[in-house]
Amino acid sequence: MSIERLREAVKKILPEVDVVIGYRQGFDPLHATPYFISQPEQVDQLIWNPLCVQNLCSYLPFLKGKVGVIVKGCDSRTIVQYMQEKLIEREKIKVIGVPCLQVISVKKVMAKIDYQVAEEVAFEGENVIVKTPKETKTIPLAEVMPRKCLTCQLATPLQYDILAGEAIQANKPAEAFEEIKEFEQLSLEERRRYWEREFDRCIRCYACRNACPMCICQDRCVAESRDPHWTSQRANLTEKFMFHMIHSVHLAGRCVGCGECERVCPMDIPVAKIKKKISMDLKELFDYQAGINPDDLPPMYTFKVEEAKIKEHEL
Amino acid sequence: MAECGFLAKEKINTLIEALAKKFQVFVPVLEGEVVLFRGFESGKSLCLSRPANLPPKGIIFPASDVLFRFNFQKDPEDPKKVSVELKENRDFPLTIIFGCRPCDAQGFTIYDRVYLTPETVDPYYRERREKTTIITLACNAPFPGCFCTSVGRGPATTEGSDLLMTELEKGYLFVPITEKGKEIIKAAEFEDGSPYQEEAKKVQENAAALVRKPFEHLEKLPQKLLSLFENTQFWEKEAAKCISCGACTYLCPTCYCFNITDEQVGNTGERIRSWDSCMFFHFTLEASGHNPRPNKYHRLRNRVNHKFSYYPQKYNGVIACCGCGRCIRYCPMSVDISEIVAHAQGA
Amino acid sequence: MSYLAGKELRIIGFLCNWCSYGGADTAGVARFKQPTDLRIIRVPCSGRVNPLFVVKALLNGADGVLVSGCHPRDCHYSEGNFYARRRLEMLKRLLPFLGIDERRFHYTWVSASEGARWQKVVTDFTKIIHELGPLHPKKESTE
Repeated sequence: MSIERLREAVKKILPEVDVVIGYRQGFDPLHATPYFISQPEQVDQLIWNPLCVQNLCSYLPFLKGKVGVIVKGCDSRTIVQYMQEKLIEREKIKVIGVPCLQVISVKKVMAKIDYQVAEEVAFEGENVIVKTPKETKTIPLAEVMPRKCLTCQLATPLQYDILAGEAIQANKPAEAFEEIKEFEQLSLEERRRYWEREFDRCIRCYACRNACPMCICQDRCVAESRDPHWTSQRANLTEKFMFHMIHSVHLAGRCVGCGECERVCPMDIPVAKIKKKISMDLKELFDYQAGINPDDLPPMYTFKVEEAKIKEHEL
Repeated sequence: MAECGFLAKEKINTLIEALAKKFQVFVPVLEGEVVLFRGFESGKSLCLSRPANLPPKGIIFPASDVLFRFNFQKDPEDPKKVSVELKENRDFPLTIIFGCRPCDAQGFTIYDRVYLTPETVDPYYRERREKTTIITLACNAPFPGCFCTSVGRGPATTEGSDLLMTELEKGYLFVPITEKGKEIIKAAEFEDGSPYQEEAKKVQENAAALVRKPFEHLEKLPQKLLSLFENTQFWEKEAAKCISCGACTYLCPTCYCFNITDEQVGNTGERIRSWDSCMFFHFTLEASGHNPRPNKYHRLRNRVNHKFSYYPQKYNGVIACCGCGRCIRYCPMSVDISEIVAHAQGA
Repeated sequence: MSYLAGKELRIIGFLCNWCSYGGADTAGVARFKQPTDLRIIRVPCSGRVNPLFVVKALLNGADGVLVSGCHPRDCHYSEGNFYARRRLEMLKRLLPFLGIDERRFHYTWVSASEGARWQKVVTDFTKIIHELGPLHPKKESTE
């Protein structure tokens, strides 16, 4: 997939839409940033590389008119889930799919370069080469892969109107929720202490909530309402825990696993773990995976009179 | 220059142990990959290699602060008569913030102009501010996003600090800036710092030269931004990628907006002051339901203008941004306030 | 004040108005003896129960939470308890992941005539919560 092909695709759909959302260079060579293109001259600034991590679909439910958007495989699940929940009008969206085998976790790269300023970044083969004032470091891409890329089955997006590249298959193992099963081996006390330690850092900035494509209530979120009074303004563990429970439970059966929540947390809290646990349970109970089939109905929206996998609990 | 002190790198923990006998000391520690300020615990190691993710503003201006506790008491003889008992909560021990960066420390001077005005003093803020000594570590290199030199500061700015330490090859040079700083020099054991002043100056100058400069010419900026107020197209374009979360404001050393809420159960409760963010929809939501800043571009415009236009116009040209770059570094979508300012200058 | 005397623990029950509340009433009319820890909140239907009610109760001082509704297929509103079953099963599996013992939350189906069964549910559940002990250390202030 070449950047020219992507730019051609954007130029092609630009006359049909009000804006195309893509990526351009951010504040330093290690960061890409969303780019809203409405004029053909802007297309030259479009970039595509493993640093294009943001899920651009999050903007879609809030934009009026016709919108074009560049999606990777993981992002395309968001489009499918929006279709299931009727949060977008699919005919008004022009999707440019880009085949993708992995992105980079900028947090992991920063740790490897000792948090220095990145002066230059280049991609060569299986490596990313970062030049800082201290050194030039060659880092294998596999070492800075975010967790979601390890089991990604969607190298080619599920939904697209134009595919800017050749359809490819990823030879990766399917999601087996190893991380969750491993965590469940810990004792109850250890699990509780783990979450108490992690959530203690939470500052309730709501970056995770706002970055989540499925969290669309944002300005009217119940976690901030005074009536009903779900959470208070106290900064103790109870309130932080409660906010995360509200967020995770409201995403039950809807979380598409894009990982944005965990990526954007400034305090490095593993917030995606809870959602993954719920996704794992719902896959087992109802054989459902969010964001795969536009005709599905999220499991919490529906029911069966006989539930094969739910046994009545005895005391 | 007042007496400055030198301390070898290995002796830093001993210094803090000594200070911890009289003060509660907050130091930057590493938890996983996150650096944040925690109360010093003997044996725990400090992380001084990079700025903390969250600045120490929460020590003087807590994220959630109980102002007072109240208790309504009904007269058993006459249930309609209700009296209220208040218990103020202002006690704060002598505190030291150790190892923050000049930009973090400088942020408190932005608060001082607002909370410690001659006419109205915020007693809660004053109590904490007066009891806190700030020992700042100068940066010897910029970090991703930093632009302190563009807003009239630098990697060794002294404003807001009581004691400035500069990292040298063998140790740290401590230079007192205020009386509180001098007290610290007297209170603990330092070597004479004068032989190290040249080296420190060089380190500071080198660092300042490396900081990026996204914009210059601050004098005309406040007026320029005001002139762009009605330019909806400009602000909509800049705010398009913002997701209006609030991370930038919470991580910002100069953001000082707050919310006051009463949390009451039955007859007892607390009045709490907590951080608020101008990027939240609720920030300007009025009881009628009307909101003067309903769109994210309204709110982003307000944030940029507050820091680079309204505050400087009120306070003699002082920019209410310390250039620490956290809002850029941690923004989920990499919204870059320095770029917005540069665009505004060119618009 | 028996809670503070250490004899009772805080158990909250969400009972659907039609079947379970009726069942509890039947138990009361028949004077079946039950432990008194349980405090009942009446809801129109078990489908009204937001899983977050259970979470908020547990996080804010409850030691155990019980939810009871009509038997599946017998919901007064036809479908409410089908939704409840899905949501509460999801929650039941999630709680231990967060370090909260899953035995502290129980959901069941009790019909209006099942007074004796209600007595058994309450007695057994209270016994389990007492065995597990308090979830939170006792707090002094309203922190």
